[in-house]
Amino acid sequence: MHAIEIDHLTYSYPGAAQPALRDITVNIEQGDFLAIVGNNGCGKSTFCKTLNGLIPQFISGALEGRVLACGLDTRKSDVGALARKVGYVYQDFENQIIRPTVLDDASYACQNYAMADYRERGRAALAQCGLQGKENDFIWQLSGGQTHLLALAGAVSLQPDVLILDEPIAQLDPAHADRIYAVLRRLNEEYGKTIIVIEHHTEYIADFCKHVMLLKEGRVQWVLPTEEALQRVEELQSCNIFPPQVTIAAWRISREAGRAERLPTTVEEGKAFFAPKARPEPLPPARRPGQGETVAAFQNVSVAYRSVKGNPHKVFDGLTLDIRKGDKVALIGSNGAGKSTFMKLMVGLLKPSEGSVWLNGRDLHDVRPEALSRQISMVYQNPEDMFIKDSIEKDIAYAMEVRGVPDAAARTRRLLERFRLAGLRERDGRLLSGGQMRRASLAIGVALDPGILLLDEPTANLDIATRKEIMRTLEELKEITETVVIATHDMQLVCEWAERIIVLCGGRVAADGSRDEIFGDRALIEQVGIRPPEIFTMGQAMDPAALCYTIDDFLRRFEGRQPV
Amino acid sequence: MKAVDKLSENILDKLSIDFLRNQVLKNAYGNNDTVIAAMDPRILIVWYLFFGLVPWFVSDLPFLLGCFLLVTVTTILARVAGLVLFLFGLGVFSQTGYLLVVTWLFGGDASAIAPLLILTLKVATVSLASVTVFSGMDPDKLASGLMWFGCPEQLSFSISYAYRMLPILMEEFQNVLLSYRLRGAPPAHDDLPGKIKYLIYQVRIIIYAFYPLMLNTAKRSRTTVEVLEIKGYRYAAVNKEVRKLKLSALKVTNNDLLFLSVSFLWVAAAIFVSTML
Repeated sequence: MHAIEIDHLTYSYPGAAQPALRDITVNIEQGDFLAIVGNNGCGKSTFCKTLNGLIPQFISGALEGRVLACGLDTRKSDVGALARKVGYVYQDFENQIIRPTVLDDASYACQNYAMADYRERGRAALAQCGLQGKENDFIWQLSGGQTHLLALAGAVSLQPDVLILDEPIAQLDPAHADRIYAVLRRLNEEYGKTIIVIEHHTEYIADFCKHVMLLKEGRVQWVLPTEEALQRVEELQSCNIFPPQVTIAAWRISREAGRAERLPTTVEEGKAFFAPKARPEPLPPARRPGQGETVAAFQNVSVAYRSVKGNPHKVFDGLTLDIRKGDKVALIGSNGAGKSTFMKLMVGLLKPSEGSVWLNGRDLHDVRPEALSRQISMVYQNPEDMFIKDSIEKDIAYAMEVRGVPDAAARTRRLLERFRLAGLRERDGRLLSGGQMRRASLAIGVALDPGILLLDEPTANLDIATRKEIMRTLEELKEITETVVIATHDMQLVCEWAERIIVLCGGRVAADGSRDEIFGDRALIEQVGIRPPEIFTMGQAMDPAALCYTIDDFLRRFEGRQPV
Repeated sequence: MKAVDKLSENILDKLSIDFLRNQVLKNAYGNNDTVIAAMDPRILIVWYLFFGLVPWFVSDLPFLLGCFLLVTVTTILARVAGLVLFLFGLGVFSQTGYLLVVTWLFGGDASAIAPLLILTLKVATVSLASVTVFSGMDPDKLASGLMWFGCPEQLSFSISYAYRMLPILMEEFQNVLLSYRLRGAPPAHDDLPGKIKYLIYQVRIIIYAFYPLMLNTAKRSRTTVEVLEIKGYRYAAVNKEVRKLKLSALKVTNNDLLFLSVSFLWVAAAIFVSTML
């Protein structure tokens, strides 16, 4: 039985010269767990929207061929009937939440389709998605991961046979991502749902998905079992898909040896593939935290937030910390550990209730944030909130112009070029792609040439190829700005970029040191819930003393097992 | 001088957007466990129709005093946020209260004070009744109550959707405002003209900040519109069954009846007192 049957599907958006999907013929089995991968703009989201009838029923355009979803022809059935067969969770899932409280939102669709037992259905869906006990919460009380589960519950409540999720974990930290996938696996195995995910994180594909479909320029290249699909390292990389680090490491070894062998896709499989080198090459010297003068200091800082209900929420309790000139700091910690609060304190937006914050030798207590913008600058997590003019050129120039910086125009031009935005200068920042938006926000952040730059989650919400590009930009940034602090969940970024790592936990500094000091401390990693990059875990699994942060590091210490 | 000084300092700092946001959220979401919030919205709307209209047409002092005391009690029961009460106080005072005080101070006699007192009582009673109902009840409930009285589905949807979006919009507004603050260069404000300029500057960026906010919202709504289609919003808007289903959640309980009876008895007592005098 096929959950989805597609026969010669070709589709073009209204007014588009090229079709977005070209002659697709494919069947998706009932009970499959399918990952759809492909380059940006290869038609992944478009493909998924044809499955639940949004295309062509709601978004018009030219559609040829036939799509059968659970036996319903998507052209002849209305969106409502299809919604009960095929559920959809958007990438920007926050916008999918319509109602103010959790149970209301989970049961909203059932209520709209006049199902008398809508509340019970909503409750059942919440239970299936692991949100029991949250029924009466307001949606803004939920964490990002819980919000995503709620969006999923909203789709599950109609009990569709097929669930489609567009990049379900792009915005989540690893703990939440694991939870989402655990829920999806349960829906797949226990409730027999067919799950289709658009996914860039190949580690998750390796762990959870049964099949992989590669889309390229609107065509289906192939559908293969996950094991086999991830072996095609070169082909995937040419489409900007990066196989798991373990697979890439193994592929590089076997390519050098001129062998064609089965590559491992998980750490578990890797144990049988790799072996320590007899004479490991030395690792590059570890980067040491800067030893310059202190540029910012927290002295015994306590902060509490007013909360809507109940007692104020205490974020910091006696935090003491120095940031030195030239530091490249990664600030890590779970959601709610106070990373954003830390940054707001540094730019003077927030005043501590106890203790003091110093910037360049000045107590920030009586200083207005406006007065600091040449010394310190902050780039938000959500770049949209930084675009206050109608083109990125004006946005970059704004701070310089209002301050009468003499060569503002020339400097703006240089910044546009430096961040590869020259061709986009006229565009509104909001309408750029994720990576372009991020680069524009960085350019705005460094416009006044501040000595200290604070970045809040600069790689969140980006696909892996764009993430790599932003990581390159951040590397270049080291030459532009002396002292940089990045708050992030992205451990690959932490490992490759940071020279000093500060771990926040429970309102205090839990640890502060080089990456060896942090990632080498197993007890700490457990306690704070840090997830090192896969290749690091692989190295540790082979040899607990190995600290390999990148694939290059790993290949200096390990090689392939000699075939017996 | 002092006042301008204060105001200019205050707008963005002491009475910060953060504070405003907190008060608005407290008002909308923070009091859903009060006696008033637990009531049936239809009963409250009927109740409001009485206390929001009748005081305008009656000039009997004991009656108005009685009503005023009652709505004061309900306002306390609704645990209305401080900012709303402050605005209420300011509103009443600016309407009629200042006349009352001035008359009093300049030795006006009872004949001058009585009518002003009555007018002030009228305004205060009606305002407090509104505060009780609109601030004490959660907007979502209010929306279903209005729907029961035949208001169009779109209106009640807008109210409850605004209720869901409010915290997100306020946070976003705050961030956009921060962008202006951190990147902008405010005029120097050491002397009086500077302070006035600074005040104007602040008001101006607050207005400017709405423009990015609206664009961001427009961008966001692309997904929301598709989701509403999938979730059957259009289907529900024309379906009588669904309307019934939505309204079936409304229930009049003993508490509601008790509330109505107490209000009724209290008003009757006030009328009785007034006829005895």
